[in-house]
Amino acid sequence: MMPSHHLTDETLQEYASGALNVSMETLIACHLTICSSCRQKANLADAIGGVSLSDQDAVAMKGCASDVLAMDKSTPVQTQAFAHTDGLEAGIPRPLARALPGPIMELPWKSFGPGMKQYNLGSQPRKEGAFKLLSLDPGLRMSKHSHGHRELTFIVSGSYSDDMGHFNAGDIADLSEDHHHSPLVDSDVPCICLIATDAPVKFDGLFGKIIQPFVGI
Amino acid sequence: MDADLLQTAKAAADATETLKKRMRDNLIAIGQTQDQSAFQDFYDHFSGRIKSFLIGKGMAEAIAEELAQEIMLIVWRKAGSYNPEKAAASTWLFTIARNRRIDYLRGNSRVEVELDDEMLEVDSTEPTQEDRVDLSQQSVILEKAMSRLPQEQRQVLHLSYFRGQSHGAIAEWLNLPIGTVKSRIRLAMQSMRSEVYSKDFET
Repeated sequence: MMPSHHLTDETLQEYASGALNVSMETLIACHLTICSSCRQKANLADAIGGVSLSDQDAVAMKGCASDVLAMDKSTPVQTQAFAHTDGLEAGIPRPLARALPGPIMELPWKSFGPGMKQYNLGSQPRKEGAFKLLSLDPGLRMSKHSHGHRELTFIVSGSYSDDMGHFNAGDIADLSEDHHHSPLVDSDVPCICLIATDAPVKFDGLFGKIIQPFVGI
Repeated sequence: MDADLLQTAKAAADATETLKKRMRDNLIAIGQTQDQSAFQDFYDHFSGRIKSFLIGKGMAEAIAEELAQEIMLIVWRKAGSYNPEKAAASTWLFTIARNRRIDYLRGNSRVEVELDDEMLEVDSTEPTQEDRVDLSQQSVILEKAMSRLPQEQRQVLHLSYFRGQSHGAIAEWLNLPIGTVKSRIRLAMQSMRSEVYSKDFET
């Protein structure tokens, strides 16, 4: 599986800087799992962070190296809780699998319109943006909408098309704030996508405005 | 540039490369033999920069000092997992400091790729940059490339990496449209990447 839609350079840089929230990080880590070329760019973005760190003037330290060695003797080594992999759903990148409370098809999905279901993964307030799974039935066309700041979409299964092209499982749509789109599900199974936004979605049409409060993406 | 200046520039580049290799060798020595003098040298070079990095994010001096010491303790204990073929010493340290900063500020860890994930896709046809270039040398190339960036691009990179500000916050801080901030970041990343790759092809 070779993804054909990727993360932008600026998103990879922001991920490296550590300024993104958990939902954006989860989504990015899903794509990085299955995209070696973005992973390579992400490594380079970390290397640039290292250069940026080396480039700084040092601030005087009060402590010294021997204090650290003394700390090593006095502080117990925290045995890292072994990251379990039991019960994680196969076929789903681990960053997402770890965020799921159960098998994806058995989640308590909530319908928000004909052929559209969602499952909310985030617990943050709505103004901080959304973190959720959408399940869209084959043939469905979503109402035209844009996003407050930025929306990242990771295709978990199925596929859709919009004016940016055809999006398959593993692809990522990295959209800027001013992009308006109206995706059409063109797979013969439901298209399941993971969505993270850093601001709520704005629907353009009247129907969109009416469903807006219920969708909450 | 006259011959003297050229000489000075070359000497400076050699010194940077020597320093980077020394830091790499320090990490290896700490990891393999718990070499305390190697740790001392690594600490003297980096601890004050780590503290500066934490203060840059807005932490109080006392907290930054404490976290910097903790990060150095992680270096001491984890140096055995440092792989010089995967990252330059400064890159490895940056990721540790960044992740510790995230843990501290947010109370949960940064979400990352798990390298033992069955879903992990490894493209075996394409050699990775790690195969092609010595990573201490790569970081010298990156450092030079960064110093050559237009000031406005260096500024946004600094605010992002060093102060840990989001692109949105940088736009507000500089009173610029967010699109301008993003395009400066994009141009900077692209030109630095192309420097690394063009050097690769020369060797």
